[in-house]
Amino acid sequence: MRTVLRRLFFYAVTAWAAITLNFILPRLMPGNPAQDLIERFAGKLSPAAIKAIRVLFGQPHTSLLAQYITYWHNVITFNFGISYTYYPTPVVQVIRQSIFWTLILIGFCTVIGFVLGTALGMIVGWRRGNWRDALVPITTFLSSLPYFWFALMVILIFAVTLQWFPSSGGYGVGLQIGFSWSFLSSALYYGTLPALTIVVASVGGWLLGMRNMMITTLNEEYVSLAEAKGLSRLRVMFTYAGRNAVLPSVAGFAMSLGFVVGGAIVTEIVFNYPGIGTVLFQAAEGQDYPLLEAIFLTITIAVLIANLLADLAYIALDPRTREG
Amino acid sequence: MIISSDVEVAVAEPDEARPRRGWVRGLLVPKVFFGLVIVGFFILLAIFGPMLLHADPGAVTSARLQPPSLKHLLGTTQQGQDVLAQVVDGARISMEVGFGAGILTTLWSILVGLTAGYLSGTSSELLSMFSNVFLVIPSLPLVVILAAYLPNSGSTGIIIVITVTGWAWGARVLRAQTLSLRRRDFVEAARATGENTVKIMFYDILPNEVAIITATFLGSVVGAILTEASIAFLGLSNVTQWSWGTMLYWAQVSGAELSRAWWWFVPPGLCIALVGTGLAFINFGLDDVINPRLRAGATRRQRFVRARSLAASAVRLGRPMHAVAAAPAASPATATAGLAEPARPDGPGSRVLEISRLRIEYGATAPVRAVNDVSLTLHRGEVLGIAGESGSGKSTLARAVTRLLRPPGMIVSGEMIYTNRSGRELDIAALADAQLRKFRWEEISIVFQSAMNALNPILTLGAQIDDVLKAHRPAMRKVQRAKRVRELLELVGISPDRAGAYPHELSGGMRQRAMIAMGLALDPEIIVMDEPTTALDVVIQRQVIDTIMGLRDRLGFAVIFITHDLSLLLELSDTIAIMYAGRIVELAASDQFYEHPLHPYSQGLLGSFPTLSGPKRTLTGVPGYPPDMRKLAAGCSFRPRCPHAFGRCEEAVPALLGQAAPAAAGQRSEPEPEVACFLYQAGDASPEGAVAGGGRA
Repeated sequence: MRTVLRRLFFYAVTAWAAITLNFILPRLMPGNPAQDLIERFAGKLSPAAIKAIRVLFGQPHTSLLAQYITYWHNVITFNFGISYTYYPTPVVQVIRQSIFWTLILIGFCTVIGFVLGTALGMIVGWRRGNWRDALVPITTFLSSLPYFWFALMVILIFAVTLQWFPSSGGYGVGLQIGFSWSFLSSALYYGTLPALTIVVASVGGWLLGMRNMMITTLNEEYVSLAEAKGLSRLRVMFTYAGRNAVLPSVAGFAMSLGFVVGGAIVTEIVFNYPGIGTVLFQAAEGQDYPLLEAIFLTITIAVLIANLLADLAYIALDPRTREG
Repeated sequence: MIISSDVEVAVAEPDEARPRRGWVRGLLVPKVFFGLVIVGFFILLAIFGPMLLHADPGAVTSARLQPPSLKHLLGTTQQGQDVLAQVVDGARISMEVGFGAGILTTLWSILVGLTAGYLSGTSSELLSMFSNVFLVIPSLPLVVILAAYLPNSGSTGIIIVITVTGWAWGARVLRAQTLSLRRRDFVEAARATGENTVKIMFYDILPNEVAIITATFLGSVVGAILTEASIAFLGLSNVTQWSWGTMLYWAQVSGAELSRAWWWFVPPGLCIALVGTGLAFINFGLDDVINPRLRAGATRRQRFVRARSLAASAVRLGRPMHAVAAAPAASPATATAGLAEPARPDGPGSRVLEISRLRIEYGATAPVRAVNDVSLTLHRGEVLGIAGESGSGKSTLARAVTRLLRPPGMIVSGEMIYTNRSGRELDIAALADAQLRKFRWEEISIVFQSAMNALNPILTLGAQIDDVLKAHRPAMRKVQRAKRVRELLELVGISPDRAGAYPHELSGGMRQRAMIAMGLALDPEIIVMDEPTTALDVVIQRQVIDTIMGLRDRLGFAVIFITHDLSLLLELSDTIAIMYAGRIVELAASDQFYEHPLHPYSQGLLGSFPTLSGPKRTLTGVPGYPPDMRKLAAGCSFRPRCPHAFGRCEEAVPALLGQAAPAAAGQRSEPEPEVACFLYQAGDASPEGAVAGGGRA
């Protein structure tokens, strides 16, 4: 229990740090983003919208502390102002429309990639000195490929050449978003290639990590003892070697997750998927700071929650963490 | 990230013991070499490529979207620009950003990691919290924001952005390593002599982290190249400056994948992946050198077993006893020694395990012979003690009997014939996988030296005993198994309600007793105990020994007890075997051995500790050092340390032969001791008096 509380505290601190970073950055940067923005909107803004921008990106003649307090107030009430790119839609609404797509696509693919990569890594690490070792250089190469390059190749092969799947978008044109069969099947159809890209591109990293840990774990005495006990091969591989070898992967989930999410976001852009990555791209192109910052916060909080879940899984998997 | 887990492995295995020339050897490892060639190629391409090619990557021509041809080796873009020129030119920015950010990131990681690891207290906690916070904040959105605030700042801006977002992982790994180094003796010593902190950090600690720093650096470079590509691909860097990332940006913006212009975006992606692979290979290779376990070992063991299984069927029904004795008669005594064979094969004192001429080697090229020509007989209910220095082959023997030898160790020749209660014989060395699984634990179980390492840390004690029952007694119901688990724990004096405890929740002595309980789960005929008490303190050691011996008296299993503690062996064994350099040099009944050790080595061993009871005597010990198994002396391996060595010892290896014991001569109740020493073997003249002088002083 104390371990769980400690982790919760850590993530609270991290969330605070991320939100504060978001406050400091525009004020640290050269130039005056707030003024830039207001000028770019050039008279299209209501006084309330101008105030929101000032609160988020810097107010002249106000103390930093006062700015910080108003900033927090806005963050808590989800008041991130109006998007420049999607003018005049509020930022919160832009995010609400796109986050769902991203959560499903990336959440699902990350889990699949992890499970698949770990399982393969376990098998590859279990017995060495045969054809399975050839997987190592191949996966090393695959995991060095940029996700978005992989996405381009997938489109070239499966969408343009073979024409099996559509090359962009999240669902068929003219469909109404909702719980209808035609929409869901279309979303699944459109999601196949992005999902394939993310899974295949992320599998290699998990595989290599698990393989190495598996090899290290196989030298442990408890694996020898399990063999000496005459347990079945699967039991030794899963319960003795595998379950211990997977622990560092779960513990290292945080680092890898940031990497996978980053890659997945760029993948969305290539597929013009209606998720948050594509919105981020638009926002970056248009230097839409309100939207950029809100996306940064959203992704960060989502990743923190995922990490917390991974930590809880770790605590469940390793009894040694449960006390003290 | 591919590099991450390797660093983890490297942390687990600090490289302090590794000799420095390991680095030189490291460069010759094929993986490292392969990686260096790839990375070297791209570095040279980045430096000299643009000069050699003389092509303007931005020059617009009318040859639009041309596939590769002789004129344009990699085709052209939509503006008719030469792709090859762009790839070559792009290598510059990509490598510059990659290595620039790699160096800066690593330096910053070292600074934070070392400081956080070396300092203690609040400042250290804060620093490590700081890096952990940065570690979990996803870097790409942060990079995007930073890059959006710094548009068109060129590669310097990008290098800074990547450094700011990418240092945390390295810092964390280095902090962990510094923390573990800090407690090492040499650092403590430096501190005690009053060396100043900065000096300790950079002279004593830093050089020991070279391996991890290298891994961090290589990982950072890969990360930086990929991040630069992402930033450029998002159009956040200066898109008029050629890099592999901006090439992909233009390809994507112009819809190259939709117009099937693969030659436009395939080359830059492949270049990124190749550099990444090259760096990863250098990392893997160095990791192999640092952590030899990761190196692939040939599975010779299985090949051998398969060959054996083909040659002779593993299970031989009613195999005549004399077949064993008929093996080349190196030790005729073995065949004739022992008690007269009882008629019933399951009676006490009947033969349960017969090892003959066992030979075990490590390594295929220049093999080291860890066990050499060992023949032993174990009888039902007997406690056979095997003693020897570390490296004498005693633990290898234990692993061989349980078939737990791992490559590169393998049984080269010999037999291990096990006789079960109904007189059926099987050769353990030749059991096929499925037979072996059934045989294990049912007939022979093993107790390891360190129960902490031998118990699975994530399973409860109960579960670890239970899975033996589940595997071997499929008919047993859950309730019955639970009952048996409680019974076993009670047997070794552990309260049955501890069945739900995890290994880390038990004391050392309890863990060791739990191991013994586990070993008894199936009522095996033999329990191999490989230094079961070495890791325990004396009081707990006594408890564990008492438990073992009490259970032996009640349950009647035979024990092979392996230790370097001869005094302990004398107390509990029926028979003692002394091993030296892979051979048994003396084999005798325990009390006989104590009274009249024959081999000069045994005499030395017995002379190296005081007895609690019995007459006072001078402690002599064994002069010299344990032998180097890679270059054993010709003839008798003990000769260089033997006070009685003479000419013949150099010429031949003495065989283990039966010897009429001086005291027990006449009364044949005990088997005659065997010794492998020319002092006792007629042939040419052995110096008179040596035997007498070797007796107990």
